[in-house]
Amino acid sequence: MTNVATGAGTATTGAQIISEDDVVRVEDLRLSFYTTLGVVRALNGVSFNIPRGKVLGVVGESGCGKSQTGLSIMQLTPGRIEGGRILFREFNTSEEIDIVKLDKNGPEMRKIRGNHISMIFQEPMTSLNPCYTVGHQIEEAILLHQTQDKAEARRRAVDILRKVGMPNPERIADSYPHQLSGGMRQRAMIAMALSCTPTLLIADEPTTALDVTTEAQILDLMRELQHEIGTSIMFITHNMGVVAQMCDEVAVMYLGRIIERAAVDDMFYDPKHPYTISLLRSIPRLGVARGQKLESIKGTVPDPYSTVPGCPFHPRCPAAIPGLCDTVMPDEVFVAGSRTHTVRCHLYT
Amino acid sequence: MLNFIARRLVNMFFLLIVVSFVGFWIIQLPPGSILDVQIQRLRMQGGNLPESMIQALRDRYGVDDPFYIQYWKWISRSLQGDFGTSFETDQKVAERIYNRLGISFGLSLTALLFTWLVAIPIGVYSATHRYTWPDYIITFVQFLGLSIPGFLLALVLLIMASRLWDQPIGGLFSPQYADAPWSLAKLWDFIRHVWIAVVVLAIGATAGLTRVMRANLLDVLNMQYIQTARAKGLKESTVIWKHAVRNAIHPLVMSLGTLLPALVVGETLIAIILSLPTIGPLYLDALRSQDMYLAGTILVMLSALLLIGNLIADLLLAWVDPRVRLE
Ligand SMILES: Nc1ncnc2c1ncn2[C@@H]1O[C@H](COP(=O)(O)OP(=O)(O)OP(=O)(O)O)[C@@H](O)[C@H]1O
Ligand code: SF4
Ligand SMILES: [Mg+2]
Repeated sequence: MTNVATGAGTATTGAQIISEDDVVRVEDLRLSFYTTLGVVRALNGVSFNIPRGKVLGVVGESGCGKSQTGLSIMQLTPGRIEGGRILFREFNTSEEIDIVKLDKNGPEMRKIRGNHISMIFQEPMTSLNPCYTVGHQIEEAILLHQTQDKAEARRRAVDILRKVGMPNPERIADSYPHQLSGGMRQRAMIAMALSCTPTLLIADEPTTALDVTTEAQILDLMRELQHEIGTSIMFITHNMGVVAQMCDEVAVMYLGRIIERAAVDDMFYDPKHPYTISLLRSIPRLGVARGQKLESIKGTVPDPYSTVPGCPFHPRCPAAIPGLCDTVMPDEVFVAGSRTHTVRCHLYT
Repeated sequence: MLNFIARRLVNMFFLLIVVSFVGFWIIQLPPGSILDVQIQRLRMQGGNLPESMIQALRDRYGVDDPFYIQYWKWISRSLQGDFGTSFETDQKVAERIYNRLGISFGLSLTALLFTWLVAIPIGVYSATHRYTWPDYIITFVQFLGLSIPGFLLALVLLIMASRLWDQPIGGLFSPQYADAPWSLAKLWDFIRHVWIAVVVLAIGATAGLTRVMRANLLDVLNMQYIQTARAKGLKESTVIWKHAVRNAIHPLVMSLGTLLPALVVGETLIAIILSLPTIGPLYLDALRSQDMYLAGTILVMLSALLLIGNLIADLLLAWVDPRVRLE
């Protein structure tokens, strides 16, 4: 029951895992959408860090803000960042840049995008421009950040296509996206994202749209390249199986907040937050009798225009403490005896 | 790509045959043979026609032949540039058409160019500055452009041009330039005469296409590959012009095929108001006076224009979008 306040933390972030070796540290990030129907508070103080060379899984139900967190780091979110910091440190530098302070379309931000931080999206079928060849689209990033020499850019594009396991990379480079299958397009996207050896790769459900075999291949590939290049990955998914296979650490999000954060093993074997526990129960498992109903989390996510008082999970929480959970927002605290496992729940304070 | 062009050309050839067939059928449509009309007219001009001359005319027009032979004679003569003789003026149809067709075509092409040069940038601006004051103003002007009838605008501009700006109105040239060889001064005189026609012709299409461009671009800007392009670190202007516009421009390119003949026909009223010697008024006259060789020929030529427009549109589309090329 330790409550460790960090210098950077604000009232709502109690615990922060401090590491000298983080590539990115997000602190109390708040993001809103001003729509005609009202204000959507999509992120309500998200804090986490991604250690160098590690894969952090970010999981949570649809709409909890996973994609918007990733897009905020790229400064590509259509919403308005209302507060917080996103501290980024590129390879071999000690200097931290606060991404939130950079101009969205300014040269500093553009130098980071695609070069130091790159992103892969969920839909491989639509994430490449149908009007240009795959090679051209990869070369575009290389020409922008790495070299002015077109022949060299071409050579590097073909190289990286070979690296992501494309058969006949020269031919693929001259193909248009519609000539490739979904799996090949996702490989091409990975090639594009890794073409400038980024410090951080944000992968937003990169395999959700693929079949299981292709998914396994793509995951293997990402893991392999991650080891080779040393890139840190923020891996967004809602598939716990994928988390087990890919990630070193996991952060669980609920309604625009991170409610639990731990190493993969701790999360799977010793989940603390009631939401995480039910999330893990809802995964189908081998050996469980066929026909037995999977447990689903009761209730639904509240509508995005309203704010819930107290712990945002309390309307659905089986362990909610009346009088406390529905009025007081729990702080993020370390789980007893751990320096890496944090949770945001009154049961542990 | 060559394959693609060849296929389109073959298609076009067959379509032209069909169209010319229909055109000829229309020429034949009015009751009484063409010859009767001709003989009537010659009689009215005075004098008795000797039987031998009538026979010569019968042979020339081939009225005794079956339909397909008549068609064959007409089409083979047409291909050599002889479209027959206009009944009304006894001029060769070809002579009457060529000049006017050239002017019409030039005018329409200029209007088309104007349409694109205005519609694309304004549409892009409007889409990228959605819900700002300039966007609202552009939208308002667009609806004006779409709803004002062309002839009204032509009249208004005509009056303004002559009253306020002291401009020459009507016709293509001022009298002093009419027969002069081409020079800069003559060109300027020409522009001063035709700009109203170009603006009036283009205004409706421009308003429509700006709207289409805006809507498409908004759709495309929501596509994932736009986010990909931004995530690469490209400048916003590169993202818009290189990655978005190229995908949004399809309907504009496709509209090219229909726009060309529509412009040619659309100029009729305006050409009458501005007394420009284009093909539209001629077509109208021909139809009214049942000058069928003339009308049929114009019809076939307009159809050919439509087909050519479509071909150009197809080629442009294939150039813009590889998916069309390779299908
Ligand atoms: N353009 C937008 N306008 C308004 N609200 C938005 C917009 N984009 C996202 N949101 C809101 O932001 C919240 C978080 O969205 P986000 O896309 O990050 O969810 P997610 O966790 O990635 O979900 P999924 O698993 O479905 O991808 C959602 O509740 C949504 O209502
Ligand atoms: S704080 Fe209360 S309501 Fe929220 S998860 Fe913990 S026990 Fe449940
Ligand atoms: Mg998402």
